Amino acid sequence: MPSSSGRLENSTFDITSKAGSARRGVLRINNTKLETPNLLPVVNFYAGGTASSLYGGGIHRTMKEFMNGDEEINGGDYDRYFDGIMTSVSSLTDYGISKERFEDYIDDPIKQRDVFDFDGTLFVDSGGFKFLGDRTLDGSDFEMEVDQEAIIEIQQHLGADILVNLDRPIAPDDDYETRVEKAQLTAKNVDQFLNLTDRTSHTRYLTVHGYNYSMLDTFLTEIENEIGRNRVHREFDGVALGSLVPLKDDKEKLITAVSDCREVLNDWGFDDLPLHVLGISSSAIPVLAAVGADTFDSSTYLHAAINGKYHTTLYNTKPIDEVDFAECECPVCSDSELVNRMQGDAEYQKDMLGAVAMHNLIVQKEEIECIREAIDKSGKEPLIEYLEQSLGRDKSMRPHAHRVVNESLGGYF
Amino acid sequence: MATTKTPKVNEVNEFLEIASDFEDPLEVIRESLSNSYDAGATEVEITIRDRPMGSEIIIEDNGEGMDYEDLESFFDLGNSTKRGRGDGSIGYKGHGTKIFYKSEEVLVNTAHGGVNLRAQMEQPWEKLNNRIMPEYEVRESTIKEGNPGTHIRITGFKSGQGFSPSTLTYNKIEHYLKWKTLAGSTAHFFTEDFHEMEITITLGDEIDDTKDELVMDNKLEFPEEQLEPGSGRFPESRMCKHYGRQELSVETEDGEETTIEVVGMIGGKEARNELPTYGKHSAQFGIWLAKDYIKVERLNDAISHDNEFLHFFFIANCQELELSANREKIRNKSSHIFQAIKEELSHYLSKIASDPWFKDYLEERRKANLSRLAESQQSSVEQRQQRINDREEFTPSNASEVLVGLERSNRNDEQPEITVEDYDPEADVNALVSLHGSLYASSIHRSLTDHFEADKPLESIDKIICWSYGDRDQLNELERHGYHGGEISFDLDTGQLTYRNGRKHNIHLVSVRDRY
Repeated sequence: MPSSSGRLENSTFDITSKAGSARRGVLRINNTKLETPNLLPVVNFYAGGTASSLYGGGIHRTMKEFMNGDEEINGGDYDRYFDGIMTSVSSLTDYGISKERFEDYIDDPIKQRDVFDFDGTLFVDSGGFKFLGDRTLDGSDFEMEVDQEAIIEIQQHLGADILVNLDRPIAPDDDYETRVEKAQLTAKNVDQFLNLTDRTSHTRYLTVHGYNYSMLDTFLTEIENEIGRNRVHREFDGVALGSLVPLKDDKEKLITAVSDCREVLNDWGFDDLPLHVLGISSSAIPVLAAVGADTFDSSTYLHAAINGKYHTTLYNTKPIDEVDFAECECPVCSDSELVNRMQGDAEYQKDMLGAVAMHNLIVQKEEIECIREAIDKSGKEPLIEYLEQSLGRDKSMRPHAHRVVNESLGGYF
Repeated sequence: MATTKTPKVNEVNEFLEIASDFEDPLEVIRESLSNSYDAGATEVEITIRDRPMGSEIIIEDNGEGMDYEDLESFFDLGNSTKRGRGDGSIGYKGHGTKIFYKSEEVLVNTAHGGVNLRAQMEQPWEKLNNRIMPEYEVRESTIKEGNPGTHIRITGFKSGQGFSPSTLTYNKIEHYLKWKTLAGSTAHFFTEDFHEMEITITLGDEIDDTKDELVMDNKLEFPEEQLEPGSGRFPESRMCKHYGRQELSVETEDGEETTIEVVGMIGGKEARNELPTYGKHSAQFGIWLAKDYIKVERLNDAISHDNEFLHFFFIANCQELELSANREKIRNKSSHIFQAIKEELSHYLSKIASDPWFKDYLEERRKANLSRLAESQQSSVEQRQQRINDREEFTPSNASEVLVGLERSNRNDEQPEITVEDYDPEADVNALVSLHGSLYASSIHRSLTDHFEADKPLESIDKIICWSYGDRDQLNELERHGYHGGEISFDLDTGQLTYRNGRKHNIHLVSVRDRY
């Protein structure tokens, strides 16, 4: 069984088995342990995240109740679905909160707060994606200029296990010059990010941006030009591939981006680093895991629920009012109280949709567990079999399954 | 008061209907082969002769022969003794042999268990057409045990129009048999104890005297595999990859289960030509559904549209398919099981279509096309070079070359200098030119007459720039008849065109050739 250990100092990434380009591993940071491939649900800790905001926070609050196993969601143990969480600095800047409120909020690390029962891996994103579409990270309400330094301060205060630099994501219609300019802006942030953080106490991920090998190679070259060859190669504990959200519905391009990223990382000598794919999950998980992505994050479980969609599988949804909850054996659908709520017997919308969101997350998390099991078994066949029996049975996903099997797993014939 | 009625069958009409479905003597061969196979024969000989009163067809096999009951079912309609036997029998409807009724005489001699039965039916077709049910006479004789077999002689077979035995050839029969009958069976890919059968066809010399007989087995074989491209102008043409036996399990939502046995190949034209073909490739290749391992009907929908089914030759056998009496069509297409078969097959073929080898094959094909295109372009370049060498002076062959000529004349300091500032070949006013600091809407043509042949307007242009004026008589005719309802006159010496259509338009004519 292949095994290699990443170069993390306060953490380790052990690849325990491989199937083609797919990797099975364990990411240990501080006292946390994350089996990979894995999905980190995006959780908004601010919304409904204090004892005083009892009725606020909507569905975000309900998700944290599930995380805690609170009485409000009829108890239950959902801990294993929250082994890792992604949260973003932008979940603070999106709210019009005062300086005092802000300072008060970031005073304690998330894991040390009484209102949360969370001890998994916490990944705090820089919120750089807000720069796309001319939006910005606006810290004016809490009298703060949101730059790389401020982002690190927030990440550290929240007690992030994984920190990522502030980046300037690219857009699909950016020309070469624009992409290089954005890479140079990101590179300056990366320089500052390295200067302001300490490798012995932080796990640091480098964001990379590009839709194919050449774009990613150009990006890394710009980073290297700014911070120097040694630092590029020695200072990072992981890589986070960004800018893919605009491509979320184009699986073909997503597969190219992630598999090319894996290839460019191998060529740059980063093959033993964990690769996180920012903002993409749901039906893309199996194909992206198969081409070498180690972790994902996404809020699609929430958005689907907010839009009244209940996941029957990773690829299919049903309107909530058409669902036969008896067909699902997940802890949410096995709890008659929660089923009643999903059927509309709930005081607040959040109680109904929150349960659906938790169910949707479980569908995604259990699917990724199947993928881990398939990679764990020896040889490529179990993963091929898994892809064939899951994606391969969905007509729209079938070509992607075939592509991945052919390109990353040695093919069918 | 309620009465109970039993629907009646008009037996004579039924026999007529069933027998009428068959027209081609080749169908006689197909049915005979199936019967001999079902009788366990390892050898079957079929002889066809063309006689003035209709063809004579003799079928002889070394199968287990028929007893009284079998013989009855041979002549009866819908009374097959093979019904539901589940032993791999092909015929079970009791329809196939009724094709023999389209004749003047059916004579059967069959030996089974030391008894020979001789059955004779006279004028069956004539009687049926006279609404009389034909009868047959059976005589029994004792023979030595151990020599079973059946000998059937059909005299005066009535082929349908266009299906005369005289149109048969050994080549046609061979291809038909391999394509449409158990001679092209895929059973040997899937069964360990495959029932082999040697088939011998003899045509009378009056039909085809190119050889004495045709001998073949009952196995479909694919052309030899060739995974790499060849050489020459069509390197992909002989490429061929086999996709060995696959057993696909199918289950419907209501729990019905079956298995599809698929085997096939992808190949270029040359490889496909090595297979027996019966008609055009576009009508033959693709995905075939089969029953009893014999192809029935194509299901090219099972391959997504962006893959050319022509390169595929797959046979998917499933015993759950229900066939029409003449085995040409599948009847249970609206069933759940058929839909499930289609879905499973479609999934399997999508894997084939995604095989990198297939993509490489298509790429080889594309490259070969491009290279042939480049070759033809090269030859076109050579022809153009020759034309340049042959001509005495620069002569434009299109409007763009007129522009080149105009620019050359400017370079030679011809006056006045006329410069093209904007050129849009698709527009009516295709150029804007500058002269003495002003811009003029212009129309550029190889010859002046081209402007009128293209039916272009005159009102919106200031200049017509052409290599030469072209056919003067054509211009004179325009002066006589007018253009677009207006009067037109040319003064080629001063380079002026005058057009009157309500208003008067003066258009400057530039003959580029005259500037040299």
